[in-house]
Amino acid sequence: MNCLLEGNGVKVFGKALHALSRIGDALWLDPTVKGLALRAVNSAHSAYACFLFSPLFFQHYSLGSGSEQGSGSVNCKLLMKSILPLFRCLTSIERNVERCQISVSTPSDRVVVQFFCRHGITKTHNLRFQESEALQAVFASHLCPNVLKAPARLLCDMVMHFPSSQEEITLSVTPLRVSLTNYCEEGKDPMRTMYTEMSLHPDEFDFFQVGVDLDLTFCLKELRGLLSFAESHSLPVSVNFSTAGKPVCFSVEDVVLEASVVLATLMDSESRGPSQPAETLAPVTLEVCGCCCSARGIM
Amino acid sequence: MKFRGKIVDVACLNHVTRVISTISKLTKTCVLRLTADNLFFVLSGKVANGGVSMWCELSQANVFDEYQMEGVSSEDNEICLEVTPENLSRALKTVQNAKAVKVKLTKKHCPCLTIAAELPTLSSISRVVTHDVPVDVIPRRLWHEFKEPSMPDFDVSVYLPPLKTMKNVVDRMKNLSNFLVIEANLSGEMNLKIETDLVSVTTHFKDLGNPLWGDDASQDGGPSPSRDPEAMAQARVDIRKLQQFLMGQQVNPSKAMCNIVHERVVHLILLHEDVSLQYFIPAVA
Repeated sequence: MNCLLEGNGVKVFGKALHALSRIGDALWLDPTVKGLALRAVNSAHSAYACFLFSPLFFQHYSLGSGSEQGSGSVNCKLLMKSILPLFRCLTSIERNVERCQISVSTPSDRVVVQFFCRHGITKTHNLRFQESEALQAVFASHLCPNVLKAPARLLCDMVMHFPSSQEEITLSVTPLRVSLTNYCEEGKDPMRTMYTEMSLHPDEFDFFQVGVDLDLTFCLKELRGLLSFAESHSLPVSVNFSTAGKPVCFSVEDVVLEASVVLATLMDSESRGPSQPAETLAPVTLEVCGCCCSARGIM
Repeated sequence: MKFRGKIVDVACLNHVTRVISTISKLTKTCVLRLTADNLFFVLSGKVANGGVSMWCELSQANVFDEYQMEGVSSEDNEICLEVTPENLSRALKTVQNAKAVKVKLTKKHCPCLTIAAELPTLSSISRVVTHDVPVDVIPRRLWHEFKEPSMPDFDVSVYLPPLKTMKNVVDRMKNLSNFLVIEANLSGEMNLKIETDLVSVTTHFKDLGNPLWGDDASQDGGPSPSRDPEAMAQARVDIRKLQQFLMGQQVNPSKAMCNIVHERVVHLILLHEDVSLQYFIPAVA
């Protein structure tokens, strides 16, 4: 696989990495005919994120030469801490980097990231990868009966009332009100915790389709990366969910990319009060499949 | 015990948020005393916080548009609560663009100060935000611990140099030593000194001016008319306590003073608009 990013594309790619780093310590790089998919999952398998950059996003995008597998090249697993620092400072990337070339070299098990910077400087980074099976979340978001759509700005305004350290929050949806409350976790003294509730009218959403009153509790921390990405690109966010206990999917898309975060939700969500201990979130069902399927098909 | 207050003016809201934010940088928990006319944030000097104590006073009329307070009893018409100022600060920061903010003493899962606000939106129905900040009610028998501190019998009183400059100096000195000596005299001079085995560093400030405390002191305004104006009064303090005080200051106060009781205590006083903040750092050997 060989791809070339130019100018602003490098910054967008970096921002996607930042969002994925909120989820897990490893990054799966999956080049396919549909585009380059970047995926991450957390250790508890309760959060999964995927960013799919279509070939149109790149200046140049090609999969492996004829000598490699026909359907695409190999799926690479990289440590987030080896690739994230390359894209850490987005402002300096914006100022200095003109082009970025990413290629996968199978014989040497390396992902080569080259930054072509101003003043004729070229920075080449060689990152070792582990060949891995593809990572995919088995979650049919299009089959979810409940859908909310809102500009990223609205969701960001809702979550800003909660501290960045807040782990779980509960989204309560009724035909008249949508509210977010922080969820008190096990181990934290309920008497000492500050409770915040923020609510608004469903009219504020661009699209609101909810069949039954519902309380969904999920991890906010893992979602913030996607919200920040969506806000910087002014993309609307879709929220697809069915019932408590089943995963919720937050997704954004535009002409050249699609991104989604799938989060597990608490099974017994009537326990919203502070006196109830938290239960472990049911893991999102992840399928580690041997073939390289396109991300879109499963999602 | 009852407390309800309403803040409608955005400047008042900014003002109280800034004060509470400063307090939150000085201490993790403190006592909030609500009286008919004032709000006090008090930290009483205990071994746990290295003997540092704090007293911050502001007038409730400059914050609240509506204020109802019924204290513990009619003779003791005040409410004393132990709070975590960081929680209050965080709650208030999220509602800065609200049309009105209501603060109430409530009983939820425990006693709380509930901050509730309506936020403006483009649609006809506002967004509502509520923060329940847990507090602990301080019983009357402990109120004596949170009384206004008396002015110490200081040896020297001097105006502080610009806090930002002081902070820069102290930040760098902290890398070299854990203790710092503050000394000043009645000729408007102040020195900040550190000394280690390898190096000693002194920063000199001149022409700071000395406040005139007047009233029961002599006509020159000094605490003792016979005191040599060049003689330095000093106190050796834990540098981190001084640094913490300087880090919290967000606004340049209209008046900033330092009273030193030789080898006993450093008493810092900041005055800005209607807010007064006093901070006592004990001297160490």
